[in-house]
Order: sequence, then C-alpha cells, then structure tokens
Amino acid sequence: MKRLWVAMAVFAAGLSTAHAEDILIGAIYPLSGNASQIGVDAQAAVGVMSDIINTDHAAIPMLLGKGGGLPHMHGAHIKVIFADHQNDPQKARAEAERLITQEHVVALIGSYTSATAATISQVAERYEVPYMAMDNSSPSLSQRGLKWFFRTSPHDEMFTQGMFDFYKAIGEKTGHPVKTVSLFYEDSIFGSDSSNVQKKLAAAAGIKVVADIKYRANSPSLSAEAQRLKSADADVVMPSSYTSDAILLMRSDNEIGYHPTIMAQSAGFAENSFLTSVGTLADGVMSRSSFALDAVKSRPAIPAVNAMFRARANKDLNDNTSRQIVAVQTLADAIDRAGSSKPEDIRAALTKTDIPGDQTIMPLKGVKFDSTGQNTEATPVIQQISGGAYHTIYPFDIAVQAPVWNVGK
Amino acid sequence: MMTNSILRRRRNELVAGVLVLIILAVLPLPIRDVYTQNLIILTILYAGLSQAWNILGGYCGQISLGHGLYFGIGAYVSTMLFVSAGIPPTIGMFAAGIVGAVAALLVGWPCFRLSGHYYAIATVVVGEIGYLLFLNWDFVGAATGLYVPFHGENWAALQFRTSKLPFHYVVLAFAALTWIVAWVIEGSRWGYSWRAVRDDVTAARSLAVRVFPSKMAAAAISGFFTAIGGAIYAQYVGYIDPDSVLASSFSVLIALPAVLGGVGTLWGPLVGAIVLIPTSELTRSYMGGAGGIDLMIYGGLIVVIALARPTGLVSLLGIRKQVGGANAAPT
Repeated sequence: MKRLWVAMAVFAAGLSTAHAEDILIGAIYPLSGNASQIGVDAQAAVGVMSDIINTDHAAIPMLLGKGGGLPHMHGAHIKVIFADHQNDPQKARAEAERLITQEHVVALIGSYTSATAATISQVAERYEVPYMAMDNSSPSLSQRGLKWFFRTSPHDEMFTQGMFDFYKAIGEKTGHPVKTVSLFYEDSIFGSDSSNVQKKLAAAAGIKVVADIKYRANSPSLSAEAQRLKSADADVVMPSSYTSDAILLMRSDNEIGYHPTIMAQSAGFAENSFLTSVGTLADGVMSRSSFALDAVKSRPAIPAVNAMFRARANKDLNDNTSRQIVAVQTLADAIDRAGSSKPEDIRAALTKTDIPGDQTIMPLKGVKFDSTGQNTEATPVIQQISGGAYHTIYPFDIAVQAPVWNVGK
Repeated sequence: MMTNSILRRRRNELVAGVLVLIILAVLPLPIRDVYTQNLIILTILYAGLSQAWNILGGYCGQISLGHGLYFGIGAYVSTMLFVSAGIPPTIGMFAAGIVGAVAALLVGWPCFRLSGHYYAIATVVVGEIGYLLFLNWDFVGAATGLYVPFHGENWAALQFRTSKLPFHYVVLAFAALTWIVAWVIEGSRWGYSWRAVRDDVTAARSLAVRVFPSKMAAAAISGFFTAIGGAIYAQYVGYIDPDSVLASSFSVLIALPAVLGGVGTLWGPLVGAIVLIPTSELTRSYMGGAGGIDLMIYGGLIVVIALARPTGLVSLLGIRKQVGGANAAPT
C-alpha cells in the first residue's frame, strides 16, 4: 500500500513538472455561430503546429520542424487554449482578458475578423502581452501605433499590390496589358477596405475603373449587378466577395452569357464550397492567395505539414490555415529565442524575428516585423483555377503553370 | 384604503431599490477576477438598457424591436465627439442621449400611427435602415468602424487601463437612474396614461388620454437612456462598428431581459438580465468550444421561460405586476 502511495506521488510530481514547462498561449476564434467553421479549422491548424513543435517525429524541413519541444527552453511544450468570440468585439475583449488574467497565457493569437482583432489588440496593449494576428487582413490594424501587435501575413494593401504587380508583369510578357477594371465588392469592412485600395492602386497604375459596384452582402440576387458588369465590359473584373455571393456572381454572369477575366480578392473564391458548386464555370478565375499548396519545390515542408493537417481536418491547407501555422511557428520561434516565457521578453524577440521564407510553408519572402508589427516580407501569390483547383501562376519563379490570359484577345 | 396601500407599496419598492443598489455597490469589492467583474458589469448594463426599453415597451406597451438603433446612435455620437472633437464621453454621452431621444421621436412620428405587430415590424425595418446607413457612411468610418483611442487613465474620458471597478460604478449609476425614472413614471400621471394606452387605446382616448403624445414622450425618454447606454458600451469595449452596435441582434438583446423578467415591471429587466447575461457568457466561455451547445442552452432557456412563464420571471417571486395594471390584484 505504501509503495502505491509513493508511486502515485512520483507520478503526480512528474505530471506537475510536465505542466510547469508548458508555455500557454491563448487563441480567440469564432467557435460557434455563423463563422464557426473557421475556428474549427484554426483549432486543427494550431494543433498541427503544436504537434510539430512538441512531439517526437521525423524531421520536417522547416524552422522548429525537428520536434521534441523548444530547444532553447529545455524542450518545453507550447499549449494553446482556445476561447470563443462568436464574432463579437465585446466577447473577444472579455475572452482576451480572461485568458490573460485567469489562464495566465503569455501571448494571444487570433482572430479571423478585423473587428474582434481590434478589441483583442487593445486588451493586449493594456496588459502588455504580445498579440499575433494570424489571419486578419485589414490594414487599419497595424496602423494604430500598437506596441504589442504583430502580423505575419500580408494585409489587404499588400495582397492588392500583388494583383497589380501581376498585371504589370503579364502585360509586359504577353503584350496585352490591363487597361480597364470593374470593381465589385460587398458592403462590409472586407469589401470596402479592399475596393478602396484597388481604386488607389488602379489610379497609380494608370488603369481605368469603368464600373464601381457595391452590393449588399449575402444578396438574394445579383442579376442587375451582372448586367452592369457586362455593359461596362472591363478587361478584368475584380470581386471582393464571400462564398455565397461569389457563387451567385458566377451563375448570374453565366446566365447572361458574360464570361469575364476575374481576379478575386480570395475570400469566397478560395473556399472549397465555391469550387465544387460552380464547377467548370470557375475555370480561369484568378485569385490572390497567401498560400500555394503546389509550391512544394521552394517550400519542401508543405507535403508533411499538409498530411498532418489532412489527418485532423480531412481537407487540404488553405489561405487561412497556412497563415495560422506560420503565425504559431513565428511566435514559438520568438519564445524559443527569448528563452523565457515573460511577455516582454517574447515581444523583444519578436521584433528581432528574421525567418527565411523557405523555413515556412508560405510563399512569402520571409518574416521580419517593422515598427508597426507588420511583416514587411509577406508577399502574396496569384493563382488560377484549372480543373477544379487553384494553381500558382505568379510570381513566375515559383509558378507551377503558365497563366491563361485572355485579356486583349 | 386603496391609495394608502399603493403608497405603501411604492415606498417599499423604493426601499428595496436602495437595498439592491447598496448590494450591487459593494458586490465587486471582494472580487479580484476580471472575468467575473466583466460579467457583472454587462449584466448591470443590460439591466439598465432593458429598463430603458421597458419604459416604452413595457409601460407604454409599444413593442420596439429597433432599440439597437438608439443604442448604436449613442455609441457613435459619443465616440465621434471624442475622436474628432476631443469632447470627453462623460459629456458626450448626454449629447448622445439627446440625439437618441430625437431619433426616437423621428422614428415615432410615422411609426406610432401603426398599432400592435405593425409597429413592431416597422421598428425592425427602421433599425435595419439605420444599420445600412452607418455601414455606408464614410464620415463615421463606414464598415471599418471607429477605434476609441486610449490616452491613459482618465475619469472624464471613462478610460481605465485594466481596472474594471470604475466602470462598475458607471453602469450602476446608469442602471439606477433608469430604475428611478421607471419608478417615478410608474406613480405619475404620465405612467397611468401610458398604461391606459397600452391596455386599451380606445378606452384611453375616451378618458381624454392623449394617445400620440403619450407614445412620443415614452419613446423620447426610452431613446434617451438607450443612447446613453450605447455611449457607455462604446467606451467600455473601445471599438465600434455597425455590426457590433447596430446589428438587429442588439435590438433583441435589449428587449429580452425585460420580456423574460416581466414586461412593464420595475424589477423585470434586472431579474431578466441576471438570468440571461451570465448564462450566455458562461456557457460560451466554458462550452463555446463544443460547437454551439452554449447557444442551444441559451435558446432553450428562453423557450422554456416563454412557455412556462409568459408573464415573466418576476411573477415567480410573487411581485405583483404593477400598480393599477391589468394584472394587479383587487384591493
């Protein structure tokens, strides 16, 4: 009996030391309500990166891909605690406070929507805890002089810049430059931010905006809008839409026999449900992306990481989930280099981050934060649909196939 | 004597009100945990908002499902004044209240010509119009919303780095004020006219109650306090956009505590808020990861209360519905 007690005491001691080494990170996502799928996928992605860092496995050719915990922290594990913000800034704020004060997390990650990132970043600022925006793309987030805000992925201005860089490059390559564009965008923060940048960059590139169409998100019908797009007849139509509107736009265009060249601001156009329900109608559609599943040559870690993600979520990595993986990787790298789980040490290490692109799974040049916390080396790619899937067509050096370019023909 | 018993009851209610106020004032003192403090603040804020709704929806019987509009207007007016003119929210919230009252009058002018369900439907539509206006209005940040800048601890600006206690007293003062207003109205000539309008418009008119002005007055007072609540909320959260302060779900959230607690009662909004807000917050925090179980519990609770206690939770406590109301016991 006595021996059993001793054994239990030893076991308990072992458990408690294992927990003492865990580095706690708080993740705030929509886990219920209409955007819950995003949160569920984020749980899978964050779980995959935690496994890669914490567990013993065959080495994956990326930063922290060897496993076995954080090397400079005596093999400490990272542990991510999830909280649900239901897409409500007030709830996001309350959960951020709870994670910091009750769960004692040393950093926060999140949060998909810009409105929730706005309040989480304010809490992080007040409690002086680093906040890593993993998949928020609103430029305004990193333009508020926040000290504790970091973002590994591109923001909307960088994404849109990528599209216009592509127009310039393809124009020079084929001799058929883009002269006119039609803007088509939904009326929430995503669409309005996106269209504002597009107007600015179009003007800078000398491209004429021949139609500027704002529509109500989740519209029951887009027939009138499709007619306006058809009569404007721009070289390229640039939609910023979520899934249901993206599907409706493709169908409405098709009904009136209009088949424009499309350059989408990702979102709905990148969703699997878009690809499956629109089918061959979507062939030739282009979109910006922060991820290229097919860029295996320049990013050798992709197959292994994607296989792990598939095992959890039964789907491939996409624009959002790849960003979440790289954000967790970047944060864990900073904690490891800091050799400390104190928030101010982690922040100091984050500001000195310098990760080459090929050490990640994203096609970005690298990870390096400027004084606003934005990764300045976050470069997007342009992809095009053929055969029901996206393939990378730009930048040309990591492209896997030549673009189908019908402008000017 | 009927008048004496009414007077005694009103005095007792006032005493109970003061006691509750004292309890709520000392309640946060031993609590060190920010999450619970937040929960209490939200509960009291919603009790106040719902009491403001109750003034129009309960005492005057005009069921508004568009109060999110006044709430949002309050949030936007005080935040805009703070961000663009530097006027602190402690002053800005009263400007917000006045704009909210004017908005309620403007909405009431056409809508009070409708009765019953038609009025409720019209308020839903007006609320949605307000949402769309703000969503497309660049001057107030359109869909991007407004950030409330943080300039360090400051009572005038209602900004506190991490402490929640000051906000507790701000929302408590707000809720106490709405309660007092409801208490005064209950015993006033206006209160009797409004309840007459609620119970039977034709009968009220035959007794020379001026129906339309009664509704307008109730709407203005209700809109005023709802907007002040919105201004406080904006300062508390630190960021507003149309989705977070003008969404139609807010209109329902404001009405729900009063409806569940007891429409047209002094204590209904507080009782309803005490049941609803912690349920919604706690289930989300501790079950939110389970794919919406929290929302099912929340929805289920509302259905159960609506079926089992259509008159509201306060009827369980044996509190009589209201002075001279349809359900008052004979004396």
